[in-house]
Amino acid sequence: MSTNAHATESSQTVALTVDGHDILFPALPYDIHARARSSTGDPQLQQFVNSATLLKDTGRKKVCGEVFGSNYEAMRRLGGDIKQHTLDHLDFYLDQFVERATDAGAQVHFATDGNRANEICLKIARDNNCKLCVKSKSMVTEEILLVPQLESLGIETVETDLGEFIIQLDHDAPSHIVQPMIHKDRRAVGRAFERELGTEYCEDATSLARVARKHLREKFRQADLGISGGNFLIAESGSVVICTNEGNGRLCTSAPRVHVAFVGIEKLIPNLEHLSVLLKLLARSSTAQPLTCYTHIITGPRRSDEPDGPEQVHIVLVDNGRSEILKPETREMLRCIRCGACLNSCPVYRKIGGHAYGSVYSGPIGALITPMFKGLANYPDLPHASSLCGACYEACPVNIDIPKYLVKLRVELVKRRITKLSDRVFFKVWAATLRYPVTYRLVGFLQKLIFRLKARTQSQLDSGDPYVSRGWISDMSGPVRGWTDERDMPTPTARSFRDWWRNEHENSE
Amino acid sequence: MKTVSDVLMSTDGSDRDVLMTAVHAALGHTRTQPAPPPPVVDDSIARLAHANEDLAELFIRRAEEVGMVVERTSWQQVVAKIVGVLGEHKVERISVALTDQWNIATQVLEQADVAMVVGTGGNGVSDLDCYYDADAGITDVQAALAETGTLICTSSAIHSRAPSMLPPLHVALLRRSDIMPDMIDYWAMQKGKRSMDLPSSITFITGPSKTSDIEGILVTGVHGPMHVHILLVEDA
Repeated sequence: MSTNAHATESSQTVALTVDGHDILFPALPYDIHARARSSTGDPQLQQFVNSATLLKDTGRKKVCGEVFGSNYEAMRRLGGDIKQHTLDHLDFYLDQFVERATDAGAQVHFATDGNRANEICLKIARDNNCKLCVKSKSMVTEEILLVPQLESLGIETVETDLGEFIIQLDHDAPSHIVQPMIHKDRRAVGRAFERELGTEYCEDATSLARVARKHLREKFRQADLGISGGNFLIAESGSVVICTNEGNGRLCTSAPRVHVAFVGIEKLIPNLEHLSVLLKLLARSSTAQPLTCYTHIITGPRRSDEPDGPEQVHIVLVDNGRSEILKPETREMLRCIRCGACLNSCPVYRKIGGHAYGSVYSGPIGALITPMFKGLANYPDLPHASSLCGACYEACPVNIDIPKYLVKLRVELVKRRITKLSDRVFFKVWAATLRYPVTYRLVGFLQKLIFRLKARTQSQLDSGDPYVSRGWISDMSGPVRGWTDERDMPTPTARSFRDWWRNEHENSE
Repeated sequence: MKTVSDVLMSTDGSDRDVLMTAVHAALGHTRTQPAPPPPVVDDSIARLAHANEDLAELFIRRAEEVGMVVERTSWQQVVAKIVGVLGEHKVERISVALTDQWNIATQVLEQADVAMVVGTGGNGVSDLDCYYDADAGITDVQAALAETGTLICTSSAIHSRAPSMLPPLHVALLRRSDIMPDMIDYWAMQKGKRSMDLPSSITFITGPSKTSDIEGILVTGVHGPMHVHILLVEDA
């Protein structure tokens, strides 16, 4: 009977996990507009994402300002330099890491792509006859779709980060690197627990967390496989570093007899001294905490005299497109330590939310690395999902010049003609118009005329002070619709700046 | 059931070769090159706490900011304090990870109305399962960091990972002289150790287990302890 129950439970979970996947793995090429429109029209999502990101962004600025003071810029540069140095000599540090981790008793595996990474994990699970897997948060495992693979082997796999657990129960997909369920409210959690765990409906966050603790405790107790990601790999000591606030990272890597850590090759840093610098930056940038509640540094499996800890530690070093980004032109992008600060600071992310990016990685850094991982032609909208305001660059603890690379990708889009025909025609005309004063003046005059006529028909045009109440246009048609669908357009003033200048100039003479 | 892993080659050198070749190509190398010295961690930029500060005072302030309770006490008083904390939290069962120098477990068991959880596992392997039943874990810590209010717990023959990880209450014993200013100082102490000589687990604990996943509302005690009670002991 218990076997039956188990089978039903895991087959359900398979269905659940796959559901959320088209959110992060949409049909390609991906068009951002439908989802962006739906999230900008969703007031609840707007409010949640906006308030959560603003809170974190304000906290980051305050804490980093207080703690680092005038050294903040120097600290970000140092963080960036450490990562850049490691990437510049990644071959050396990979070899050193393998040697040192193996010395400590860990087993290191190389995975060229997602399929290989999954195969390695499935083999470990089968060799050790694993039945129940507890998993902590890991972006790499999202990237390679590990969970459905494990479940297809009949291994029940439970997400243990509270947010990820709720998302797994609720057939949903994470929408933020650090706060996966930033888009959901507590009523959704209450409903999911009532439906999936059979508990009484409640809306109190603490009670909901207690329900999850109780449920997941049993899973930890029985689990024989623990899966984690890794925030850093230390070349000199062969260690994996995992940062969590809930403590599930510690449990997943301590309770089950087998631990498998999936880590991208770009997570290496030279030594533990460098870890100090990056840890000082990570949690402050991410959640304005001095450190995450638990920073767990794992060096090999439990020693023979230790009473607990995993018997086996496997570290899967994942490439999956990273060595391509490692080329000098784009190497800087790999410095990312996944703190989420660029998401929290981004005015575009705040409006459209994580799911609009149609990818595992969202926000400004997602707009950069997703086209790199998945092909620019598959994600032609993402490099444009930015106002290039530079807030992400200022927020980045490892000093990645995100706007610069977004522009580079835009240039690449044009060079490779991955642009819409209408766009190409428009910019050709635009360029021709701006080339000669005559055409510029003519088009300027026509534009003003049309817009003012339009505004007049909407009876918005005021004859009073032209700079204060000159009216707004809210329903243009044709190519300008994209603008007025989202916001009103100010009516051009009766007199252009050029006219005014000429006038002033002539008068003064 | 035949799956992909049945036909899987062992994770041998070939994947490593393919991956390293790709890395070499991106770096413009044909084989692995030695790295020049890595960036220097400049103390004037990265250090956030100094040895000349009142470290106990700084530690207490920072630890309290992240939600831990700190109580100052002496060697003579420490057992009484532990008994008090256990009573306050209505603890019935405890788990313990203490070095011999503390030598207080017996006294705590005598004076407080508590029992020690006992593993049923044989063959010299303690049974982790029993630790799930403890209401409190009592541990000493290897060191503490004043700058962030952090406790450092390391695994060893007598330091099970469980007592600071599983029970709802963690009572941590910290000697004043073990407080270091900054994380930089902790790693300086470990410098030069071979990887196999490091503990398999080093955990920096900075607050009770926390989440704000549900609408940003702060909840403590998601998976780890809800309460961390630190007894800061003046050196004898």
